[in-house]
Parts: sequence; C-alpha cells; structure tokens
Amino acid sequence: MTDSADPVLTKHRELERIAMVALRAARLFLESGARVKVVHEGAELIVKGFGVSCVGMRAGYASHEITVSHGQNTITRMTAVGPHGVNHRLDHALRALCVRVSQGGMTVDEIDREIDRLTRETARYHPAVVAVAVGIACASFGQLLGIDWVATGPVLVAGTVGQFVRHALRQRHLNYYVIAAVVAFVAAALGGFGARAFGSTTVPLSMMASILLLVPGVPATNAQLDIMDGYPSMGSARAVTVVMVMVFATVGVWLAEFTLGMH
Amino acid sequence: MDPALLHVLHQALFGALAAAGFGVLFNIGPKTLGWAMAAGALALTVRTLGQNAGWSLEAASFAAALAASSAVRFVRMWLGAARNSVALAGCIPMVPGAFMSQAILGLLAVTAPQPENEIAIFVMAMEYLLRVAFTLGAIGAGLAIPTYLLRTRDF
Repeated sequence: MTDSADPVLTKHRELERIAMVALRAARLFLESGARVKVVHEGAELIVKGFGVSCVGMRAGYASHEITVSHGQNTITRMTAVGPHGVNHRLDHALRALCVRVSQGGMTVDEIDREIDRLTRETARYHPAVVAVAVGIACASFGQLLGIDWVATGPVLVAGTVGQFVRHALRQRHLNYYVIAAVVAFVAAALGGFGARAFGSTTVPLSMMASILLLVPGVPATNAQLDIMDGYPSMGSARAVTVVMVMVFATVGVWLAEFTLGMH
Repeated sequence: MDPALLHVLHQALFGALAAAGFGVLFNIGPKTLGWAMAAGALALTVRTLGQNAGWSLEAASFAAALAASSAVRFVRMWLGAARNSVALAGCIPMVPGAFMSQAILGLLAVTAPQPENEIAIFVMAMEYLLRVAFTLGAIGAGLAIPTYLLRTRDF
C-alpha cells in the first residue's frame, strides 16, 4: 500500500497540518505579548474549527507544543518561539481570525494565507513616531517621579534617542539584555548630562526617568497573571527576564553615572 | 487653585501621557489609544488620592489598578476584548521601574570595596526591592481580580 492510499497516514498528515497552523498562531500570540491563557484559547479555537480535539498544550518561553486527536489518531508537534515583544494590534487581529476559524469553513491553506497577510499588513506606527511617543512617556514618567521642569526636555530627548538606539540594535539582532544595557547607558547619560546642563536639581532622578522605556511592564504583569491562570513555569520565566532586563539596565545607568563623574 | 487638586490633575495628565506613549510602543491602535489615556488618567488619579489619604504606595496602586480594570468593563461595548490591554496600558505608568534600578544600584554600592554607611544603604536597597515586589504584586492583583470576577465570553 502506498502512503497516500493509507487512511491512517492521510489522517495523520491532515492532523499534522492542523496542529502546525494552530502552533503558528500560538507562536505569533506569544511573540505579540499575549498571556498563555489567550495563546491556548486561540489555538484551541483553530483546532475546534476542524472538528478536531485538543488533548493538551505546553507553553514554554522558547517553544510551544500541542497534541491534537481525532478518532484513533493523535499527533504531537512543537514549534520554536522567537523574541517576545508586544504588538496589541496583531494580537487582536489573530484573536478575530481564531474566532472565524472556530466557526468552520476555512481550510489550513486559507488560514496560513490569512496569517501571512496579518503579519505583513497589520498596521504599525512608524519607528520615528514610536521614538517620540516613548520620549514623551519617559518625560511623563519623570514628572510622576518628581523631576523638575527644566529636566523634562532632556528626559524627553534621552527617551527618544534611547528608543531609536533600541530599534536600530534590534534590527541587528543584538542580544536582548545587551541592548538593555546599551540603551540604558545612552539614555541615562543623555538625560543626566542634559538635566545638569539646564541646571536641574534632580539629575539622578532624571537619569532614572530616561531609562524607563526599558521597564518591562507587560511581561511583569503577564508573569503574575500567567501564574494565577495556572502556568507557573511560563510566569516564572517571564519574571526572570524582567529581573535580567532591570539588572542590565542598571549596569547601563551605573556606567552613565561613572561617565558623568557621579561616583 | 487648591494645591492638592492641582497635584491630582498633574498626576492624571502625566499618567495619561505616559500610558499613551507606552500604548504607541505596544502598537495599540489610534482609536483605542484614547481609552488607554483615560485608563492612565483614572489610575493615577486614584493612586494620588489614595496616597493623599495616607495610604501606602502599594495599597494606592492596588486600588488604582482595581479601578482601571473595573472601569474598562463598563465600556466593553466599545472596547471588546481589547479592554484588558487598555487597563494594562493605563497601569504601566505605575510600574516601579525606578525603584528597581535604585535597589540594584544600592546593592552594588554595598558590595563596593570600601562602602560608606553600608547598613543604611543595604536597608534602603532592600526597602526599594520590597516596594517593587509588593507594588508589582498589587498592580497585578488589582488588574486580575475584576477579570476573574466579571468573566465574559469575549476572546
């Protein structure tokens, strides 16, 4: 009997394609900063759309697994997960797609094409807009922390430049934590130097405010929510990355303080 | 104008701006960004009022996150499943990143070759570290509790 004529093999191949497309969605969810609960629900909706049952899933920080079954056939597949970011619009476009798939009528190829389209066409802000917005966020953070008004402009510029540097280094696929240290050094040095030049009395606080673009707020809250949802391994992994980012960011601030002669 | 009210308005304004800035970084769409600003303003207003009433930073942050997470449930018809992200963006300005850095810098200072006032520095660093842990926990709990109590079928 040839492979294509064997109904068991054919069923396995169909199941594999369903598992792989569900994994693709799961990977994109994780890379867009979704909680594990959302990742699982999204993948389950896709599987459900084919009348297949999901036996289980395992979400790791760097990989994701799924086991699907139909009748006597069960298959387990795994995919690697890339760098975790935050992309709200892609996350919600994927959720809408998962709901559509769950209603039935879409083929695996159609879903794949739709995921391609979403990753290609989901709108993103221009990097320059993001950089200025991040600068404004840092300056606002500074005001909340209590920096004086003369330091606000330098912090805004430092945050903007810091985000430009982060974007440029990410394009070069530099290590995530090394980027945190470099960005913290550049932003803190600029913010501190500018605040001092304008006669600010809150130079150390201005340096802190300048690096707040690095604070991993979404992973920090997701870590806790994942643990509450019953996924402590992913929650712990996220919490460790939060601590690591802050350690490297602090190294950057320390170097900036040293450069500005504050030690 | 009353200085206390002015301070609340100041915190609300910059809370809104910080939430919007981070909203752009998180690629929140322009229409939803306005809601994120409102959530940021609400969270910082509640936190400031709480602190003005003598609450600790942790208690005030919990109340603020609870308020933001509960408030977005009332605008569910406009926000749909995006409401949790909006509440989260609104709470980002309360994440105590500066305390975390100061705690680590304090610990670095304690381990210097000839530290001065190492006990005082260590106590201060530990205090910052505990405040980071408790404040993050408070924000996470405040965001999560309404989500679990007022479950919806949105995805």
